[in-house]
Amino acid sequence: MRLLVVEDDRDLNRQISTALSNAGYAVDHAFDGEEGHFLGDTEPYDAVILDVGLPKLDGIAVLERWRRDGRVMPVLILTARDRWSDKVEGFDAGADDYVPKPFHMEEILARVRALLRRATGHATSELTYGPVTLDTRSSRVVVDGAAVKLTSHEYRLLSYLMHHQGRVVSRSELVEHLYDQDFDRDSNTIEVFVGRLRRKLGVDVIQTVRGLGYLCEPPGGAPAA
Amino acid sequence: MDWRLAGRDSLARRLFASAATLTLAILLVSGLVLSALHSNYAVRTFDDQLDIYMKALIADVAVNSDSGDRSTLGDLGEPRFRTPLSGWYWQVTKLSPDNSQTVDVQVSPSLFAGRLPHGDASGKQPFARARTVVATGVDDRPLRMVESYIDIGEQGRYLVAVAADPTEVNDEVRSFNWALVVTFGVLALALLGSATLQVRFGLRPVGQLRRALAAIRRGEADRIEGHFPTEIAPLTEELNQLVSTNREIVERARTQVGNLAHALKTPLSVLMNEAETAKGPLAAKVREQSALMNDQVQHYLDRARAATRAVAIGASTPVEPVLTRLVRAFSRIHAERGVTFRFEADPGLTFRGERQDLEEVLGNLADNAGKWARREVVISARRLPGQVGGRSMIAFAVVDDGPGLPPEMRGEAVQRGRRLDESKPGSGLGLSIVQDIATMYAGTLSLGDGPGGGLAVSVTLPAIDDKA
Repeated sequence: MRLLVVEDDRDLNRQISTALSNAGYAVDHAFDGEEGHFLGDTEPYDAVILDVGLPKLDGIAVLERWRRDGRVMPVLILTARDRWSDKVEGFDAGADDYVPKPFHMEEILARVRALLRRATGHATSELTYGPVTLDTRSSRVVVDGAAVKLTSHEYRLLSYLMHHQGRVVSRSELVEHLYDQDFDRDSNTIEVFVGRLRRKLGVDVIQTVRGLGYLCEPPGGAPAA
Repeated sequence: MDWRLAGRDSLARRLFASAATLTLAILLVSGLVLSALHSNYAVRTFDDQLDIYMKALIADVAVNSDSGDRSTLGDLGEPRFRTPLSGWYWQVTKLSPDNSQTVDVQVSPSLFAGRLPHGDASGKQPFARARTVVATGVDDRPLRMVESYIDIGEQGRYLVAVAADPTEVNDEVRSFNWALVVTFGVLALALLGSATLQVRFGLRPVGQLRRALAAIRRGEADRIEGHFPTEIAPLTEELNQLVSTNREIVERARTQVGNLAHALKTPLSVLMNEAETAKGPLAAKVREQSALMNDQVQHYLDRARAATRAVAIGASTPVEPVLTRLVRAFSRIHAERGVTFRFEADPGLTFRGERQDLEEVLGNLADNAGKWARREVVISARRLPGQVGGRSMIAFAVVDDGPGLPPEMRGEAVQRGRRLDESKPGSGLGLSIVQDIATMYAGTLSLGDGPGGGLAVSVTLPAIDDKA
């Protein structure tokens, strides 16, 4: 899962980005409205954390432009303004949730998890596929009751596939959603990660669809809850 | 209220009263002058006629004094001198040369046995000219009389007098005065009518200005539009300036508090987060102090927001769009808990106040309700029948299906800073902010039971009438 953090305060931006990276997300960051808008407009993010008070282009305007141009990724806005009219304005512009400043980092993580889950149609924070259970809250993966230790890239890959169960996910899509923009992208590494992941999980949950990509196909074709 | 019937100190009333007073005074004075002039003229004409008869009589006396024939004397071609007691008389008195004695008296047949009084009883002074006197004579009726001395050498001196009853002149003067009163009365009415029209026409721009201002107060217009006379055009410009300045000030105050909040809370977030990830006594101290700071900042920002809360001139807010926005926002905010929000509103409601204030009131109530509700929160807006303090009111209610609140705790819930349940997130200031705003708009806040056992919070706020 790849996220974008748009916050002009460099310290706060770093703190949020670090916390999100530690939670297993690929994170890009922007420090002003124009840069943030450009990234959100050109890169396929799974969610965006957007500060309302940004230089060059304020957060509400950034959000309005994205929505006008058909960008539908979930957006969490950060606002220091307590008035409901300010918050409502954010929702009007297309925000999906808000976190008031100052906040505890757990609040951001919880909201982001909820947004990602809702965006992919899952009702709980635990994703299950056959014997594999992925807890988005603790970033832990359990197979048949036994915890499996994954690297952050492996976790991201599994998490993305399990969030999008029942849909073929291409390699290029995986590259776009698993790595931040500074990462040296090479779709061949995906194959390496998939191989490692299959070995670590020990169960065959990831199918290769030749020429198209990978698929977590639930038994019977119905998406697992 | 129509400006023509406006209070005691209305411009229309002043203009009309001054116009009426002046008109009536001028008409009265000119009427009196006209009447006096006419009366004088009528009397003079009458006197001139007497004078003509007198001159004719003097000529007669002079001609006849030679012959001594008195029978044809005084046939002045006027039959009334022959008709008994007709009101027209003459009298020729022959005097002794020293004026001391009456030698002979001849009178018109109309006078019968009566005699005209002598104007000057002594008769010693010769009169150069005819004079007019008011004499009391025959029948004791007032007569207008001219008399003259004539001296015809050795033939002797005569006192010639002609008198007539002035009743017809008086009648004529009276009827003229009546005509004058009627004419001037009609004229006065016409002038008062035209004064009314002038006042109405002249003050029409003022009424227009009043209506434009009322439209601004109702929030139907942003500024005074239209062409105004040069006398009040500067006033409308100043008013427009005032209205926009007022809006700017209110808006600036709001923005400044928002900017202050942003400026303070972002670094505070950094501090708190940094301290949370670090270990050691310093981090603990920073955690503790930044939490304190946060409380203080929040407290004073709330105070600043309350202090800068102001209603711009003519603020008006359609209710339904606000409810639509709030329901959309809260459906997302409380999506995790599976609580649905919906609203029920009478059509066409308009709140007499700032949109931000309405959103603050309903936002706080809806957020509170969303935290406690099991399934659903309903926001309703109803037009209240009648008026409170001359204003129509809207009753807003936010009803949840949660556990409700016992009546004895409802008073406490409204108090500033009090949180009834620490287990639910929120600053606890919500209801007191709602209370503040409701009070500012002369509205009320009350807590009651919802139909499903939950809490129902009702707030009344002023409305703008559909067509005020």
